[in-house]
Parts: sequence; C-alpha cells; structure tokens
Amino acid sequence: MTDEELMLAVSKGDQSAYQTLVSQHLNAISHYAFRLLGNRKDTEDICQEVFLKLWTNASKWQPEKAKLTTWLHRITHNLCIDYLRKHGRTQTSDTLDIGAAEHLLETPQSDEQNESIAIDEKQRLNHVISLLPETQRSALMLCHYAGFSNKEAAAIMNVSVKALESSIARARRSLRTQLESRNLHSTAMKPASGEINSEEKTETIG
Amino acid sequence: MNIDAFTQILETYGAVEANWPEESRAACRQLTATSEEAQHLLRQFMLLEQSLDALEPPHFPGLETRILHQALPPQHLSLSDRLINWLIPKSGSPLSLWRPSLAACLPLVFGILVGNLTDLGAAQDSIEYQYWDDELIMLSFNDYSDSEYLP
Repeated sequence: MTDEELMLAVSKGDQSAYQTLVSQHLNAISHYAFRLLGNRKDTEDICQEVFLKLWTNASKWQPEKAKLTTWLHRITHNLCIDYLRKHGRTQTSDTLDIGAAEHLLETPQSDEQNESIAIDEKQRLNHVISLLPETQRSALMLCHYAGFSNKEAAAIMNVSVKALESSIARARRSLRTQLESRNLHSTAMKPASGEINSEEKTETIG
Repeated sequence: MNIDAFTQILETYGAVEANWPEESRAACRQLTATSEEAQHLLRQFMLLEQSLDALEPPHFPGLETRILHQALPPQHLSLSDRLINWLIPKSGSPLSLWRPSLAACLPLVFGILVGNLTDLGAAQDSIEYQYWDDELIMLSFNDYSDSEYLP
C-alpha cells in the first residue's frame, strides 16, 4: 500500500494502517529527533508525540503538497525545536557530559587507549555536532543523514532554500575547521581543545 | 571556477558530485583535475562525509511497542468528514434516518427560499401596478357619452 492509501485508512480510524506507518517511519523519525535532542528519553517522548499527531491529524496531510516523510520530519522538527526552546537549550549539550568531553580531548597514552581511538573520534565528532546551533544541526541532519534535497529540507525547517544552504554551509565549515584543528583523521597528532568558533557561538546566543 | 567558489559548493552541497549543481559540475571537475589545493579540499570534505557516515544513532528497543500501545485520542476530522459522519452515523440505527431525509429535503427548501427572495415576486407586483395604471389611463380616454352607456 502507498503512503497515500495508508494515510487515508488512518484518517478513517484504521489502526493496522497506523501500525504499518509507525513501523515504516519510526527509524527515520527517531534518528532525526535523537540527532537534534541528543538523548534517548526526550527522543522517545518526541517520537510518541509525533505519531500521536500522525493519528489525530491524518486527514490534514495533503499528499500533493508534501511527501509523508517530509510532513513527519516537519512535525518532528517543530516538536524538537519547541522542546529545546521550552527547556532553554539551543544545543544538545547533554550528548556528552563536560567531564567526558574533556577526557576525550586528551591525547591517548597507551595501547589500550589507542584501541578506543575510533570510538573516541566518533564521540568527539558527536560532541562537535552537538555544539552547532540548532538551525545548522537540523540542516546538516536533514540533508546528510535523512537524504532530503535542500529544497525539501528548507520546507521542513520552514526557511528559504537560500537560508537552508547558508546554514548547511556554515555547519560543514565549522565541522571541517574543528576536525582539522583536532585532527580527527590522524591519530598521531594531539587534538587541540577548542569550541565552536566565536561566530557560531554568537549566533547561538543571539 | 576558482577555489573560493569550489569551497562554497563543497560547503553547501557536500563532497558527493551528484549533489553539486549541474551547471557547475564540469568546472568543478576541471578545477580538481588541475589544482592541488582543490584536490586537498575535496579530500577534506570527503573525510568529513565519511566521519559523519560513521556516526550511527542508537537503537530504541521497545519504542515501537510503546508507541503502538499508547492510547489513541479521537481524530481531528475534516469538515466534510464530520458532515458525512453526522448525516450517516456509523451506529446504523433506523432512527437516524431522519438525518439523510433532512439532507434530501434541503434542495427543496433552498429552492423555495430562492424563489421567495429573488426579485421575481417584487417585479411581478410592480408590473401588475403598472398594468392597472395603464388600464385606468386607457379608460379615461374613452368616450362614455354614447347612449349605450346611458341608463
């Protein structure tokens, strides 16, 4: 069955169609929410809310205007942004706690530590991503991970394509700068500690 | 195409060539073929993409079950759906037949209302008055001195 047929069935109260849609879209939605929120509990709460909205507002979805996955990502995006703003956060600072982050920025000393370099690099990158402002992080997540085109991502974020492209360009620039400075790709060099550049910080605060 | 424009393309569209704007692809290819700086830049962005790809989000065991077992609230129906549900209730009780009957009568009521409210009735009245005025004028021109009118 197509998304359109399933949604029509859901709008008529068909719970088996709802189950099918949950199974089909939960992974993408939970991954996107997690990458925006940075912790499991909030992600699970938001996912539950997203699918409740799918159930209650199924008749409002207009297939000629947006694909179902775009519509669901937009709901998720709005809920996550509302959540982050409500809780006074624009960054997923709880992805790593400060102590863990500082530990990760130290140079590995022993062979045992060298074995965990790959894991540490991932965590470092996660940390760097978590420091990006929410608009940049959303743009990157939607275009890189969810595979949306710039136009679709702009529609999800309710911004112009130009604004989306500006956000994603700044996100990639920040990440490249951070990766270069910490030299994530070369384990031989000691990673330099640092935060997101002052331009990004200013934007986040503003 | 210069290195700044190439950097801008890599930052906006990433290192995957298929995502670059079509009109710029040839120029980008040419630049990377000739410029070491461009090649280095492209490698950096490819490494960035690989690093991003390596980040896997966690699994959420039990989340699907939680979602499917949560109590579902009443759905928000569109106006047309609400109207149809009101006209033809799902309970199927014979007593609820008055609703479709009422709906069937609506065109008749509408027709009567339109007939009464349009200018047609008022216009007929005015024509009627005009007709009697004309009749009186015509009567006034007649000669009533003939004997046949006399007693």
